[in-house]
Amino acid sequence: MSSAVSSPTISRQQAISIAEADALPVYGNLDDLTLEVALGADGWHVDYWLRKPRHAGGGPHYVIDANSGVILSKKYSQ
Amino acid sequence: MNPEAPTAAELEMHPEVQAAFAAAWADSFPDDPTLRHEEGGFIYANPVTGDVVTRRALPGTTRVLDLTYPPPVPGCFLIATYHTHPNPIALGWDPEPSGEDRIEAGDSGVPWFVISEIGVFVVGPVRRVGGFSGPLGYPL
Repeated sequence: MSSAVSSPTISRQQAISIAEADALPVYGNLDDLTLEVALGADGWHVDYWLRKPRHAGGGPHYVIDANSGVILSKKYSQ
Repeated sequence: MNPEAPTAAELEMHPEVQAAFAAAWADSFPDDPTLRHEEGGFIYANPVTGDVVTRRALPGTTRVLDLTYPPPVPGCFLIATYHTHPNPIALGWDPEPSGEDRIEAGDSGVPWFVISEIGVFVVGPVRRVGGFSGPLGYPL
């Protein structure tokens, strides 16, 4: 079972800001998406979900290094 | 009358469905960064005649398409939906069905086709859940 980074240098809010800085130019806005943030063993997981029944679509998904703030992985769902 | 709706694999080979996919893809303007947007619609079957027909949904945005209200087609059951993923892999977009697409397809009771630059994906049930019975729209 993996555990979260114990003392992250990057705060939750900073992780969100990093994700938004990347996502906004691509998605235009994120207002229709639900934000979920969790600290995992590999960093901050910042996920935006489209929560609309009978709608096709998606949001961006990130793993961000909790100490450097580097985006380790990202996926632009559509 | 066949009580079972056609499978997604059978639909993908149907000329009417293939034409609808091609039209939706073209209308998505995948090569135009200004006009690019999602398109799609609904696939129906008449259980008596076996006819397969399609109807378009209203155009979507760059990354969302509303498939809430399949327009009624007399004598026909909704058996699938389809939509495009026109945003390019070259710009980092994932062409595959999103997690939300997979969830909504499963919850809707009909297969959902996703048309992308690398081909057609299908998620959800293999065929309409419950066959030709229940509501003419989404069965679930």
